[in-house]
Amino acid sequence: MTDLVIESPAGAGHRGEGWRTAARGIGQLLITLGVLILLFVVYELWGTGFYTQAQQHKLETTIQQQWRGGSAPDVSTLPVDNVPLGTGIAVLFVPRLGQHYHFVVVEGTGYSDLQRGPGHYPGTAMPGQVGNFAVAGHRTTYQHPFKDIANLRRGDYIVLETKEHWFTYRIEDIPGANGTTVPWKEIVAPTDVQVAYPVPDQPDPAKAPTLKLLTFTSCHPEYSARERYVIHAMLVADDVKPQLPRALTTKPRS
Amino acid sequence: MYVWIWRRLPGGAPGKLLGCLILLFAVLVLLFKLVFPWAEKRLPFNDVTVDPTTRTTSTPAPSASPTP
Repeated sequence: MTDLVIESPAGAGHRGEGWRTAARGIGQLLITLGVLILLFVVYELWGTGFYTQAQQHKLETTIQQQWRGGSAPDVSTLPVDNVPLGTGIAVLFVPRLGQHYHFVVVEGTGYSDLQRGPGHYPGTAMPGQVGNFAVAGHRTTYQHPFKDIANLRRGDYIVLETKEHWFTYRIEDIPGANGTTVPWKEIVAPTDVQVAYPVPDQPDPAKAPTLKLLTFTSCHPEYSARERYVIHAMLVADDVKPQLPRALTTKPRS
Repeated sequence: MYVWIWRRLPGGAPGKLLGCLILLFAVLVLLFKLVFPWAEKRLPFNDVTVDPTTRTTSTPAPSASPTP
């Protein structure tokens, strides 16, 4: 409240009053800018999660209804380009990332798709299909589905639930093209699209795949977009419901 | 700036305080609903996809997907 006194008419006309007003104005402006930036950080790291949480809740309700509804076929039988963008296609479980970790994977990796949850690269294989089920997810914002992607280790399981199946993938090195091996974990440039090819890391995207793979991409390092963190996994089990997958009924190795 | 606002708010100290809170709330809503989502799309740290085009716009075209 001292400001009021300083700016009162009694103080006007004193020498240096103009400078004082200007300095105070600049000071207030800088403090305001600082607070604005802090608020933006709060919004990014915490506020965006509320949106994703609400969207995930909706997606979960919708997908469960569809699964119980009966008429729609299982996504693993669908052609890859036959799924509308923005719809939920499978539920993702990663025991290493927590007992209660689950996200509905959305079709599409556009900005608005990824705001709603981890997004499936359109045109890549569906769960359980030959090819590469590639998924992108946020690491720091929008409920950060891949926040702890760096905790994943070789041998960890990644489970996808569809209408009729539980598909279990295991993180491991992938046989690549021409006798090469694709490491289970890669850190690549943002333009290295080969990691999501049906046969990862080989120059010809049209080469026919023979394996059933899964790939995660997220940003790296955390809070940056300089590189991409990539995880590869291979299908090891296909349990038809109501059979439960072993990966979800047993604890992950420590 | 803040002094100027404080002086122009009506209703004595309690009224001014209430006015401040209402203004603060309005500014926060504006920031979180409009300004921050707008700014976010122009900043790069939400890029998590591999993409042949170095992404600068908010939404990549479907053709920018990494598949043939």
